[in-house]
Amino acid sequence: MGRRLTVALLILLAQAFGQTAEQSEYFEKRVRPILANRCQGCHNPKTGKAGLDLTTSTGFRRGADTGPIVVPGDVENSRILQVVGYRERIKMPPTGRISEEETGVLLDWVKMGAPWPPGINEVAATSANKKKGYSQAQKNFWSFRPLHQPPLPAVREEAWAQSPIDRFVLAALEANQLSPAPRADSLTLIRRATFDLTGLPPSEEEVRAFLADHAPDAFARVVDRLLASPRYGEKWGRHWLDVARYADSTGADEDYRYPYAWRYRDYVIDAFNADLPFDQFMREQIAGDLLPPPAGKGVNTAGIVATGFLALGPKLVAEQDKVKMFYDIVDEQIDVAGKAFLGLTISCARCHDHKFDPISTKDYYSLASIFASTKQLSQIEGTVSKLYFAPLVAKDVAAEYEAHQARVADKQKEIDAVVGAEAVRFRDQFAPHIAQYMIAARRVYREGAKVEEQALGGAVLQRWVDYLKPTKERRPHLEPWYNADAETTQTIAMQYQAGFITEAARRAKAQEEFRILSGEARARGEKPPMPPKFLSGENRFFTETATGKGPLTLPPKEPEKLYTEESRRKIEALSAELMTIKKGAPPEPPFACAVAEDQPVEQHVFLRGNPDSKGEVVAKRFPTILAGEQQEPVRSGSGRMELANWLADPENPLPARVMANRIWQGHFGEALVRTPNNFGIAGERPSHPELLDWLAAEFINQGWSLKKMHRLVMLSSAYQMSADTTPIKREKDPENRLLSHFSIRRKTVEEIRDSLLLLDGSLDLTMGGSLQKGEGTDNEFSDGRKSIHPDDSNRRTVYLALRRSNLSTLFTLFDFGDATTSTENRSQTNVAPQALYMMNSKSVAEHSRALARQLLLKDVSDESRVNRAWVKILGRDAKPEEVRGSLQYVATFPAKPSDDEGRVLAWTSFCRSLVASNDFIYIY
Amino acid sequence: MPDPMLPSRRFLLRRSACGFGMLGLASLLRAADPLAPKPQHFPAKAKRVIFLFMHGGPSHLDTFDPKPRLIKDHGKPLPFKRPLTFAEGSTGNLLKSPWEFRRYGQSGLEISDLFPNVAKHADDLCIIRSMVGDSVAHGGATLQLHTGSNTFTRPSMGSWVIYGLGTENQNLPAYITLKPGLSHGGAKKWSSGFLPAAYQGTAVGLGGMPLEKISEPIEHLQNQGLTAEQQRYELDMIQKMNRNSTARWQNDPELEARIQSFELAFRMQTVAPEAFDISKESAATRKLYGMDEPETADFGWQCLMARRLAERNVRFIQINHEYGPGNEVGWDAHNELIRLHTRTALQVDQPIAALLTDLKAHGLMEDTLVIWGGEFGRTPIAESVDGRDHNPYGYSIWMAGAGVKKGFVYGATDEFGYYAVEDRMHIHDMHATMLHLMGLNHQQLTFNYGGRPFRLTDVAGNVATKLLA
Repeated sequence: MGRRLTVALLILLAQAFGQTAEQSEYFEKRVRPILANRCQGCHNPKTGKAGLDLTTSTGFRRGADTGPIVVPGDVENSRILQVVGYRERIKMPPTGRISEEETGVLLDWVKMGAPWPPGINEVAATSANKKKGYSQAQKNFWSFRPLHQPPLPAVREEAWAQSPIDRFVLAALEANQLSPAPRADSLTLIRRATFDLTGLPPSEEEVRAFLADHAPDAFARVVDRLLASPRYGEKWGRHWLDVARYADSTGADEDYRYPYAWRYRDYVIDAFNADLPFDQFMREQIAGDLLPPPAGKGVNTAGIVATGFLALGPKLVAEQDKVKMFYDIVDEQIDVAGKAFLGLTISCARCHDHKFDPISTKDYYSLASIFASTKQLSQIEGTVSKLYFAPLVAKDVAAEYEAHQARVADKQKEIDAVVGAEAVRFRDQFAPHIAQYMIAARRVYREGAKVEEQALGGAVLQRWVDYLKPTKERRPHLEPWYNADAETTQTIAMQYQAGFITEAARRAKAQEEFRILSGEARARGEKPPMPPKFLSGENRFFTETATGKGPLTLPPKEPEKLYTEESRRKIEALSAELMTIKKGAPPEPPFACAVAEDQPVEQHVFLRGNPDSKGEVVAKRFPTILAGEQQEPVRSGSGRMELANWLADPENPLPARVMANRIWQGHFGEALVRTPNNFGIAGERPSHPELLDWLAAEFINQGWSLKKMHRLVMLSSAYQMSADTTPIKREKDPENRLLSHFSIRRKTVEEIRDSLLLLDGSLDLTMGGSLQKGEGTDNEFSDGRKSIHPDDSNRRTVYLALRRSNLSTLFTLFDFGDATTSTENRSQTNVAPQALYMMNSKSVAEHSRALARQLLLKDVSDESRVNRAWVKILGRDAKPEEVRGSLQYVATFPAKPSDDEGRVLAWTSFCRSLVASNDFIYIY
Repeated sequence: MPDPMLPSRRFLLRRSACGFGMLGLASLLRAADPLAPKPQHFPAKAKRVIFLFMHGGPSHLDTFDPKPRLIKDHGKPLPFKRPLTFAEGSTGNLLKSPWEFRRYGQSGLEISDLFPNVAKHADDLCIIRSMVGDSVAHGGATLQLHTGSNTFTRPSMGSWVIYGLGTENQNLPAYITLKPGLSHGGAKKWSSGFLPAAYQGTAVGLGGMPLEKISEPIEHLQNQGLTAEQQRYELDMIQKMNRNSTARWQNDPELEARIQSFELAFRMQTVAPEAFDISKESAATRKLYGMDEPETADFGWQCLMARRLAERNVRFIQINHEYGPGNEVGWDAHNELIRLHTRTALQVDQPIAALLTDLKAHGLMEDTLVIWGGEFGRTPIAESVDGRDHNPYGYSIWMAGAGVKKGFVYGATDEFGYYAVEDRMHIHDMHATMLHLMGLNHQQLTFNYGGRPFRLTDVAGNVATKLLA
């Protein structure tokens, strides 16, 4: 292809300078107006759509991204004629087809060799498009610079600085003449710390113990206790699941379930609880399946499960353009991995070099090459592509299970064949009497005759009546029958019967031919031909009567009574064999939604992201701005292992910075870089650049331990500040970027639901496993869809299944995000529908009521009930005036019945008002 | 009720006032109401949209795009290479339309016998016969129609409109979709994507759900246990506590905003149910919408609701003809085109005509843009002999109302009706045109996300100026 076009181009160039006057005139008078009116709007030097400039002969000769648009003299292979012909995927001009006359002009022009006289000012331009390396300024961009731990700055208020972190924070405050807020009171602090690390409120005992503990390390011990709690992994694992856009279904078009997604979620929770070093965590998520199994284990199950990070993205499984579908999956993986680990929006470079960052399409397709050499699906072809589930057992064990499944399927096929033959026998037995049945049925549905009084009688006739009875709908294939009059009824019925018999014979013949041909092909060791395909509309009457529930199919009830003795015996014997096979079944292996190695592909750059427009071939390597120009390309395998190791290399300046920033965000609400998924040019700059570098370097120094980082952050004065602010602070730093006080935050949806469940003690702390059943997609009203309602479970919210296309209202209401793209930060909105949820939802009502009942059950004073409510819901004792106000509330509750129910109503309302209050919903 | 534990309201207001005075601009913006009305980019007539979504893909060749060539060449093979279709193995030869087309009104627009009632409004319609999309499968096509992208998760068009214009009626959701289906994109069809959640569409009922099952049109709108008086009493307690904590934290703007959100919620509770209560509509109105006939009762209700919501200034209203019990596969006639299209057209024709009549009667046609269409059209070649396959390469939708030409045909497909060839209108162009009709410049309506500005129209979209009135 390439060579042919080069030759063509040479001919073209030669001709361009050897044109006759007539040719020039033809071009100027006939061709140029078409190009000017129809093409140059987009194909000009400024916009240059598809890299094509049709305003000059130079541009024309250079052609488009895909190459020359004309092969002189060749009307078949000239791109310009293909696209204006409107019979290809790409149609030009896109606003509408040019006239036939215009097409004719272009055709003749190509035939004559596409002459285009060069303009006066045109000089044969040389391609000055050679890429030089990136500039020093680009390499020196703050996030790309090598990571060094900066020295601690000097501060005036040394005493405030408990931790190195405080020096950076305080230095910035002092430079702006601001001072830090005082330390938060102990109650506020333990509530804040417990929600931050576990997503739950502290228990009453924990609070009282901490308030009574005046040792200097009291808070440090609280932090250690919380970090050791399994609830920690459930809270911080969820932070990572946001970044990893975790969900339990494919979303997009068909929303197929990922039946084993939960294993990845549990892996993440376990990894956080076990304080798995973050570099290893990265490696496993990119290439865990390629890491050696732990000692004594044949398979690295955790490693395979970890690659769910790549496998659990949204997928358009019913996309019919399968190449596009595949590269959309690849793109999605580049996007999530780029944002999660590097804080870079690499997928912006799919169609063109990145508009802001030094990332080229070549960089993009080098990474694409890695994921395109990775097994993404078990079957791509077909209307709906099939998801890949990796067995979590040794290969031979998995193979044995598959062989068993095949044996079961084969035996079932044998049974089905006998039943199928019986169905045909039944059909053919009645086919010669179709006309009789139709006429009898008509007497029943039209003249009101009784089925049992008809000569034919019985169940078969009733089925004919049900089928033929006219409905309001148009059934065109039955219209001749409905239009038949007394005279023609018999003839027309016979026509239906004859048509049926002919169709049955035609199908039988085709089946038989297929049987013979495929037998012969097998004997020759060749691929058998495609089985015959029968279209339902070829004879709609046949399709409806002889398939599905039609009157000529075996009756649904006790069909076996109609089988021959021989068939019955055969089925019995085969069923017994099937039972034996099933008894010997090896256990079903556990599976994971994961990726695996596949054939390495030779990856081209796709010009403008279009797989049909192939550019140069790229090697498997990493973005040059970070990994340098001189890279040893990956030569075998997909390259995921190499990618994983490059990401986890402490020399790579981004992953530690990006993760340190996320850790900060998890504690302070806002991160130091408020675009945690974008550390590129278009992202925000860090509020405290040196602090971020110090933390990132410390993260690596501490062996990439998350738990050590939490401890470091939480034991700082900065973290322990009160949320109190002042008018001056609001004026000078309204967004609190300088951290002069703690920023209050709203509970996340998980925290809201979990603490609601905790109120009446109904929270179920069971860990792990799946709350979702089955595979495939849901019908509109299937139970599978209903089962994902959050009210149906008392488990922690992190364990609820997330169907991308149908997240429950609770999640969308409280800013969960969409579980489809990497969520860098949840928004915290305050809108009326949230207030409606607090006031009116079943969930808030039920938990308030359950708590109210518990309060009323105890034989204590109303004062102590009020205080119990305050402690349970808001985590603190009520002040005397609050007790008074509350007592008054239940006492004067309007129009309440005077019985027990009235008391419950008033106390339920009282509890709900505390639940709806800021002090329940906000963390200070 | 005097309450020693809480500061007086007047004191609070004073504190609030000076509290706001102390706030920086950024905090104010952060706490600002995301749904407050915003000015148009330029003056335009349309203040709201009613989008009639025909899930499954109605055949343009049997409704709004007559093709005499198909009558002539019925049964012959397609004379050029067939593009990618959905049901690759079952396609056949050219199939003429089983329905007659007639000319209607002064404009003489040609409309088939499937839409005899809508046809009476021919002189109000602007039929676009040159629609183009990128997906041959429902999921991708439906997502692209609703969000502009058949690949990525993007905000829905209604969310963009609300983001651009806000709402003039805070007592009702600004963006309501009636009985949407959960398949083929599910809630992504009305999701706000990466826009703030406040711009999300509110689903009333679901596709296939019987009307009587829609007990609560908007979730959490009704309190199940309390009288209005009791609830106001409870709300007063909530608000006192919230004012107290707001004062405790130096009038934090987020906390201030939460107080407002409860008052708004309380108002919505009383106002919204009235919007969904059709008991005061006359028998004649119900009959007009076909609510007395089983075939049209469901879609009739949706159309009537659309008018009621339009009257109440809901900005973006979508009504959906969906798959489901009683509807089978809706417009998706891979088989039995005659039976399925007859049935589906019957279900929607009278209600839609009634909506157009009623909008006019209420003077709402002047500032409402009505858009009718599916995710694609259907092929001129048969599938399974008596059906048609998906065709995103050229199909029809129509618009009516504010800002569009009346009795007008825009664009054309080729003589077989396979490809759009004249004034091609890609879905991006349709979106750009819709936004333009609402007074929004699609290139200026951007939102920064993940490091770059995004638009409904991605990097494409041309306003179809020829159809502007």
